[in-house]
Amino acid sequence: MMLEKYAQFVGEDEIDAIVKLAQRLEDLSILHVNSTAAGGGVAEILNRLIPLMRELGLRADWKVIRGDQEFFTVTKTFHNALQGTTSAVPEHYYTIYEKWQEINANELDLDYDVVFIHDPQPAGLVKYRKKGLWIWRCHIDLSTPDPHVWSYLRRYVSQYNLAIFHIPDFARDDLDIPQLLIPPSIDPLSPKNMELPQTAVERIVRKFDVDPERPLLLQVSRFDRAKDPLGVVEAYRLAKRHVPDLQLVYLGSPAHDDPEGEAVYNETVKAAGGDRDIHLLMLPPDSHVEVNAFQRAATVVMQKSIREGFGLTVSEALWKRKPVVGGRAGGIKIQVIHGVTGFLATSPKTAAHYTTYLIREKRVREEMGNAGREHVRRNFLITHQLRRYLMAIAYAAKRHRL
Amino acid sequence: MGLGAKALDTRGRGAPFKFFTAYYISLYSKMRARTLRQLLQGIKDADANTLFHHLFHTIRSKHLIPPRYANDFAHWVGEEVGDEELAAALSDISGAEPATIEDIRKELVAVLEPHADDRAGKSEFVFVAMEPVVVETSYVAHTLADFLDLVEVVPGESIVYHFVTRRVLEGTGRNDFSTWLEKNFGLSEVAEALSRIDPLMYNSEESLRGDILKTLKRYLL
Repeated sequence: MMLEKYAQFVGEDEIDAIVKLAQRLEDLSILHVNSTAAGGGVAEILNRLIPLMRELGLRADWKVIRGDQEFFTVTKTFHNALQGTTSAVPEHYYTIYEKWQEINANELDLDYDVVFIHDPQPAGLVKYRKKGLWIWRCHIDLSTPDPHVWSYLRRYVSQYNLAIFHIPDFARDDLDIPQLLIPPSIDPLSPKNMELPQTAVERIVRKFDVDPERPLLLQVSRFDRAKDPLGVVEAYRLAKRHVPDLQLVYLGSPAHDDPEGEAVYNETVKAAGGDRDIHLLMLPPDSHVEVNAFQRAATVVMQKSIREGFGLTVSEALWKRKPVVGGRAGGIKIQVIHGVTGFLATSPKTAAHYTTYLIREKRVREEMGNAGREHVRRNFLITHQLRRYLMAIAYAAKRHRL
Repeated sequence: MGLGAKALDTRGRGAPFKFFTAYYISLYSKMRARTLRQLLQGIKDADANTLFHHLFHTIRSKHLIPPRYANDFAHWVGEEVGDEELAAALSDISGAEPATIEDIRKELVAVLEPHADDRAGKSEFVFVAMEPVVVETSYVAHTLADFLDLVEVVPGESIVYHFVTRRVLEGTGRNDFSTWLEKNFGLSEVAEALSRIDPLMYNSEESLRGDILKTLKRYLL
């Protein structure tokens, strides 16, 4: 059994509880719907969760909506507007959105006992519900949405039985349905998080001209202003005054759906100014083992975001026993416990201060690294998310009490 | 004075002790506080499940709080508002039996009310409720010997469920362990000693378990 392999991390009792919860729900058919089969965190987690749910004897399916380029331009615009980064959504976008909801509702069998709809792209399918308990799983930051787009989407979301958000900050006062809080998770057995031999770590980082013998500051994220790449470079510069042999790796992937990405990358290259110890790497999105190796090679990991959804790269780093210096944004706040698993820093100056401190103090680094690993082990592994989804179903179906 | 290890295998009268465990669904309460005054109002208005979450989730060792404050309210006042003295007072409230959620609410209000002005936290306090989802375990104690052995090995969540959640949230008035020991074996002394343990003083399930076990051994072995 695949599920059994997680007992080494979370213990047999946790696995037993998951099995018992699943038994309570085994008569229910469960469907997950999202907008992409590969790429992105949602697809990544569903790829692992669905087989685990089936292994538990649950009748779980996963379906992906389709759309043309126009539809995905619309949903990308909605996405940015809901996260507060774009405004001015043309009126006809709403018609395009509705057209594709109808097409997908006609093509997909949605007659399940429990239906999880992930994110705004397929949220309008609820209009075509014939039966079942519908749960809207929101993976984005809804704390300061564009009011027009949100008020449009809210009409759909209000028709669900319940909604799930990552953290309370993203939950909404203007929704009258129950709002559950379930953080996302990492998979300790996936290529991005599995144990790697030290030799492989060394080999991979050397391939990119990084010296594993010298201190390494790492940020893994897209070249996006929300992740503050210029702030990272500045923090590195300030820290390097005290740690002259410090290296910086900023590891991102090209995002084809983000026209700003290239501009931000170019700005970052300019800010780096030819410093040979700054490595701005652009790797293909499936470079999981490379990300794993860099996280293991890092001395300190940074996630200096100004805005953030959850920021699972933080949990990935903590799992590898690396303390994280993170921005006070979104889900970073529940992963980086200030002074316990790392430090929260808003300015490049404070980020540099804590980076220098952690590089200098090996014992503190190790203690925080261990606390970080334990924090993730107790909260942010895939088995927790599986259990919490089962609990959400039990709650929606009023089966949470014995 | 201990009962003696030799007597522990005797089956007790009445029902065996079935261990359950509980996990908790977190629910947004639609209440937020920016200032001490709003925090006080929130504490007054919050339902039992919300207060329970902010007071007791720290026992389930989530590593979210540096150990010097025992509950979320104290943590926010100390770390976000920066009033250490008030934070310490909020942290040191008592949750021992027979305190109910309403008793604890009263104590929190009494501590906070005189200081509840417009001082704000660096970030807001978001109220969250928790709803227990109770799950059976395979652990059943038929004798005192079984019981003692199992308290050491059952999941930490199970200890918290029987010792805290049942009493405080489900309103049984007393922790399940004391009730079972007294009802089946007439062991009122050990039951009393367990009742005196204040769960609000613990930052992890394991330290709570350790003290329960120590108390049981003192009276039973």
